[in-house]
Amino acid sequence: MKPTLLIGLGNVLMGDDGVGCRLADLLAADPRLPPDVEALAGGSDLLRHASDVEGRRRVVLIDAVESADAAPGTVTVLKDGLEERQAGAHCLSVPQAMKILELVCPVSFTLLGISVAYVNIGQGLSPALEENLPSILTRVLEEVRWISSS
Amino acid sequence: MSVITIDHLARVEGHGGITVELQGDVVTDVRFDIFEGSRLLEPIVKGKHYDKIAPSLSRICSICSAAHTLTSLKATENAFGIRVSPQTELLRELLMRGESIESHALHVFMLAAPDYLNYPSAIAMAADKPAAVLLALRMKKLGNLIQETIGGRAVHPVNAVVGGFGKAPSLDQLIELRSGLLQAQTDSDVVIDFMASLPAADFCRADTTYAALRSPNLDSYYNGDEVMVFAKGSRAIVQADDYRSLTNEKAVPHSHAKHSTFRGSPFMVGSLARLTVNPRRLTGKLAVAMKRLKLVLPADNPMDNNKAQALELVNDVERSLEIIEQLLRDGIKDERSMPVHPRAGSGTAITEAPRGLLIHSYVYDDRGCIVSADVITPTALNAASIEQHMRRAVEQCEDRDEAVISRRLQMIARAYDPCISCSVHLVRKR
Repeated sequence: MKPTLLIGLGNVLMGDDGVGCRLADLLAADPRLPPDVEALAGGSDLLRHASDVEGRRRVVLIDAVESADAAPGTVTVLKDGLEERQAGAHCLSVPQAMKILELVCPVSFTLLGISVAYVNIGQGLSPALEENLPSILTRVLEEVRWISSS
Repeated sequence: MSVITIDHLARVEGHGGITVELQGDVVTDVRFDIFEGSRLLEPIVKGKHYDKIAPSLSRICSICSAAHTLTSLKATENAFGIRVSPQTELLRELLMRGESIESHALHVFMLAAPDYLNYPSAIAMAADKPAAVLLALRMKKLGNLIQETIGGRAVHPVNAVVGGFGKAPSLDQLIELRSGLLQAQTDSDVVIDFMASLPAADFCRADTTYAALRSPNLDSYYNGDEVMVFAKGSRAIVQADDYRSLTNEKAVPHSHAKHSTFRGSPFMVGSLARLTVNPRRLTGKLAVAMKRLKLVLPADNPMDNNKAQALELVNDVERSLEIIEQLLRDGIKDERSMPVHPRAGSGTAITEAPRGLLIHSYVYDDRGCIVSADVITPTALNAASIEQHMRRAVEQCEDRDEAVISRRLQMIARAYDPCISCSVHLVRKR
């Protein structure tokens, strides 16, 4: 079985939406990342990583979440009530893609949501997220360590 | 009068519906309603410089953005009299094959197959057919990888420019692609086995007119400047510059996509049309696969477009491998793009996008800025043919059960693999 995989999701051209990709890039170079975990920035289409997911028991996804009641940078393990709205016939939402991949591969997903402040056209994160990146990274690492060891 | 209405056609790109009107047993009207908003991109590029046209017009569609990009570049190059290098032609062909692999894999396995097996969606099908879904996703990734390697990214390629490519792929990148394609080649039999295992879909028989690019080497999505129209054994050739004599577009009240007819007949474009017009590609492995799929050309069943897509999926992998072998054999060169000297005039290009003929036609001024642009997509070309086939299906339906008719009509529309979002064309009212 291949090691746990962490995939950062999002569009780096849409401000904070790219936070998952940014975190994945930082984690891939971070010595604190457990040796049995691999990290990759996956863009906005989870389905295209089906063959990266194949053969793994655990996959951690990091994605941006717009939330009215959580401060930017809050890390939440998202479980129930995820909206399955489809973006188009050829593009599944993250919850739909997770569902289809769990049906065809023996994999268990954990979805970590990062509450964001600003999603709109533009590169780079908002100051609210940029300033909090070290603490967000630490919090994500805690979750990843727990998931990979359980 | 009774009316059957399908408000929203699922598992196709964009928003469309179907309306059937019956007077007793007589079918009085069948409409493929395309109510997606007009895309308005042609007027947006008016006045823009030639180097902004392909990146702007590729935004018409993210599924066939490579086809829009390359067709746009070809039209601009035709307008300026630029002849690209043989290596550029090969790389562009490879880019289009990558896009086709991704598009066909998703359509055959995830969008069309659930119809045959009575699943409401690919997600519902996945639990029972995990191997098929995984195969589709592997092929999708391969298609993405080809587009990323050659085009610079998976969607809206940035590396393809007027006159050539910004950067040629490295030897290592080509070797990596070859390795992925060799793996996909071993999946070819599984693709055909899966398609052959699906129940027959035989509820619409109709003489069909087909139109596809006639390419000099008989197997190209990119090269070629003439379209062959094939109907009941007779053939007609239309030159790219004379594309309006093929399309004869007409606005219809129920659709934001104009309807096209050739000599008064709707015509079908796409995989089935390509194989019909260029049957000489169906040799060896493909001939065996065609027999297994019980596909006979010219076909009189629009559902056979799904079989044709499966065959093309196999062929796209083979053709991509051939191109890479040739690039490796000839030695990939980091060539510069051809020099561009804008001039006033017009240029038209026709290529084969995954769903069929794609036409871009531009008029430029002497500064190299667009005076007018016309983009006609495969789904727009197919719209009248889809309606014609749906009408035949209702007429040939042995009973008037609404659920049966509704299912069959949706299957026909989906067999065309329509991209409704692409098809909506600005209609000017004078």
